[in-house]
Amino acid sequence: MASSGSGYDLSSSTFSPDGRIFQVEYASRAVESSGAALGLRCADGIVLCVEKPMNKKMMVTKNTPAGRRIYAVDGKTGLALAGYPGDGRQVANRAREEAANYLETYGSEIPPDVLAARLSAYVHYFTLHGALRPFGCTALLAGYDAATQRHSLHMVEPSGSCFEYYAAAAGRGRQPARTEMEKLAVNPTRAAAAAASGGAGGVGGEEGMERGQQLISVAEGVRQLAKIVYTIRDSGGNGGSGASKDGPFEIEMSWLCEKTGWKHVGVPKDVMEEAVEWAKREIEAEGEEEDEDDDEEDGMEE
Amino acid sequence: MFSQPLAHHQHHQSLAEADAYHGKSAETRHLKPGELSTGTTIMAVQFNGGVVLCADSRVSTGSYVANRASDKIAQLHDHIWCCRSGSAADTQALTDYVKHYLSQLAIETGRLPEVKVAAHLMRRLCYQNKDYLMAGVIVGGWDPVSNGAVYNIPLGGACIPMPFALGGSGSTFIYGLVDAEYKENMTKDEALALVRKAVSHAMARDGSSGGIIRTLVATEEGNVKEFISGNKLPYGPAGW
Amino acid sequence: MSELTSNNNLSSSSTGGAAGGFNFDHVHRNALLQHQLATTSAASNNSSSNSSILPLATKTGTTIVGLVYANGIVLGADTRATNDTTVADKNCDKIHYIAPNIYCCGAGTAADTEKTTELIASQMELLRLNTGGADHSRVVTACTLLKRLLFRYQGHISAALVLGGCDPIDGPALYQIYPHGSTSKLPYTTMGSGSLAAMAIFEADYRDDLSEDEAVGLVRRAILAGIFNDLGSGSNVDTCIIRTDGSVSMGRNDIMPNEVGPLRAQVKRSEVMNIGKGTTPILKSSFVKSKMMMSGGVSLADVTVTAMET
Repeated sequence: MASSGSGYDLSSSTFSPDGRIFQVEYASRAVESSGAALGLRCADGIVLCVEKPMNKKMMVTKNTPAGRRIYAVDGKTGLALAGYPGDGRQVANRAREEAANYLETYGSEIPPDVLAARLSAYVHYFTLHGALRPFGCTALLAGYDAATQRHSLHMVEPSGSCFEYYAAAAGRGRQPARTEMEKLAVNPTRAAAAAASGGAGGVGGEEGMERGQQLISVAEGVRQLAKIVYTIRDSGGNGGSGASKDGPFEIEMSWLCEKTGWKHVGVPKDVMEEAVEWAKREIEAEGEEEDEDDDEEDGMEE
Repeated sequence: MFSQPLAHHQHHQSLAEADAYHGKSAETRHLKPGELSTGTTIMAVQFNGGVVLCADSRVSTGSYVANRASDKIAQLHDHIWCCRSGSAADTQALTDYVKHYLSQLAIETGRLPEVKVAAHLMRRLCYQNKDYLMAGVIVGGWDPVSNGAVYNIPLGGACIPMPFALGGSGSTFIYGLVDAEYKENMTKDEALALVRKAVSHAMARDGSSGGIIRTLVATEEGNVKEFISGNKLPYGPAGW
Repeated sequence: MSELTSNNNLSSSSTGGAAGGFNFDHVHRNALLQHQLATTSAASNNSSSNSSILPLATKTGTTIVGLVYANGIVLGADTRATNDTTVADKNCDKIHYIAPNIYCCGAGTAADTEKTTELIASQMELLRLNTGGADHSRVVTACTLLKRLLFRYQGHISAALVLGGCDPIDGPALYQIYPHGSTSKLPYTTMGSGSLAAMAIFEADYRDDLSEDEAVGLVRRAILAGIFNDLGSGSNVDTCIIRTDGSVSMGRNDIMPNEVGPLRAQVKRSEVMNIGKGTTPILKSSFVKSKMMMSGGVSLADVTVTAMET
């Protein structure tokens, strides 16, 4: 970066002459070295997934809430985090406060887009003042809106930007993960186009999405996300920061779907184990098919 | 009210004294001396696809009718309305607050607010300030989620969703009538006929209710405001 | 007009700097005085006649009215201010300025109606200057400011108002505002102790299609009904016409049905009653220096000047 030493990167309250705020860019960089967080909006719900490197061998992780990176905000909303866990916890707490405050004030649950907007305003505030440090974390927000009967996935980044996604990824390996997720049928407009060319009834636009018809289900989403996590680890991640690809790691997954009554809950252990087994088999099978091109994803960047 | 020559702080120092002085109905005796009361008949009824709200038009100070053609049906948002009873000043202030909060919420969420939310906001204000307020409010209207809902917010600040709600001093006279005549899934015209009949009966028996009957129908298509003048009421001596 | 018509020598304990607005310290002081006097008079039964304990606030036991006609608003008021059963002012002004196109009649405590309308007039002027410097304000704005102020003070500001004006958006608009902060928009309204007498006239003869002359005539008759039939109202009729073209006609002392000058002139008094200048002769005059000054006592310079409370 051309910023070091120029003096324009010391505070997020200062622009560089070409209009950049380096502190915010550094915060984004901080997220990139963390384990990946993935979110997938499926036909019947949303799956959140985080990859947690377990570098310290003596760490007790089984059956403890320590190091958790998926949080419940309220009954119908979940938050997956990439980046500094402490910063993430701060954001998760704020999300819980906003949700509780909205419920207290208006007597109905906060719509996911409103929660995402309020959260991004909070995160953005920390990019405005010289005395504050921007958050070194990115949050994926999965929510269900009872009023519109619609589920949605939002991503809030350290800059305070916030968008809705069909599939979102943050942290190390996010770029290959996005590439993998683009291949999945989660984008209704694309799925509709595919269906039209395949001869199925005409469906156009997001609202015209036919539930469960072309788009993948959460059950399939869990398997695919497990596979993506193993894939990005096998390909050595993006830019290859510290952690070795063979290091121990855990997968944390939660979903929110029709079957859970639109409640945000952890994916059951047996479903996870089945998904991981499936993912490993798939990767093995693909590896046998195409042995040559294993380094193609390396260094890919937007 | 200004015919009472005494400054009113001399009177409201003791509530018991004020009660003895203003030996009125349970609703009106908590008014401060000289305060306007919408000693009232108000009601709201759900029907297929919307809600009808109805009110008489009398506003009184003691035995004097301060306004004989007032409008006690106030708009809170595009499709959400409320009927006011109790202190005119208190209920006007309350509706102004709820109106403000709802418009802010509509901007933040980018969608029509729910009747439930409007009622909750009103409930919160009524409950948190219950020691200082004299307000019985019925919130009703249409929203895309409920397709029409009625909430009764009586004096203490409860908030009760109801298929129909009655309020004000005149309501005691017509509970039986409305219980007998209310049906589920009425049409708009059936609901209108019911509220007009009920409120005209209340106006005939309650001294603090009278004037004209105002109605408001809130549906997805919009709102229709109507009134029946005092000499064309469905029940009661004409021309009073 | 001062709120208390007789001055009281008891010094009220001053409470820091007044931040503006209304001050209710005297309410507590009066309650205390009332209590003390009541207990002492009960203990010593000899002076039981001392029942008029506190001075009363001057009230405008009043008739004020307003009506809408096709081309504007007509406001009307009587001019009597009372202090208990005494007429405190025979020709006071109850039609207050709010904005060039808005006026407001006030009934209740004279000081309260004057100060509230003054305060709102000032806020309206600042609002106009802050929003493009228009030469007129909206009547709803004045109404909202007034009702918020009165509601905040929970009826302790006894100002019952008839607010009228014309603006380009709503045309002629007339509001009735009660001391507790409730308002209604009406085609015609009356307030004050004479409101019943005045309303009787309006209910009988108000029409939607009154001409300006008819409207002013009706307002005059309504005020006269108050003047003649209500003890709290009296003296003269003031009117004010606010037209949709923005012009205003103030009819101060429009009708003076209680003119006593001619009657007084008819009374012939004996010349003995007229005591001319120099009737008392000056025998001698001398100037003596104040004893206080000579013994190093209090001079005028030692008097602390305290700011008048708002």
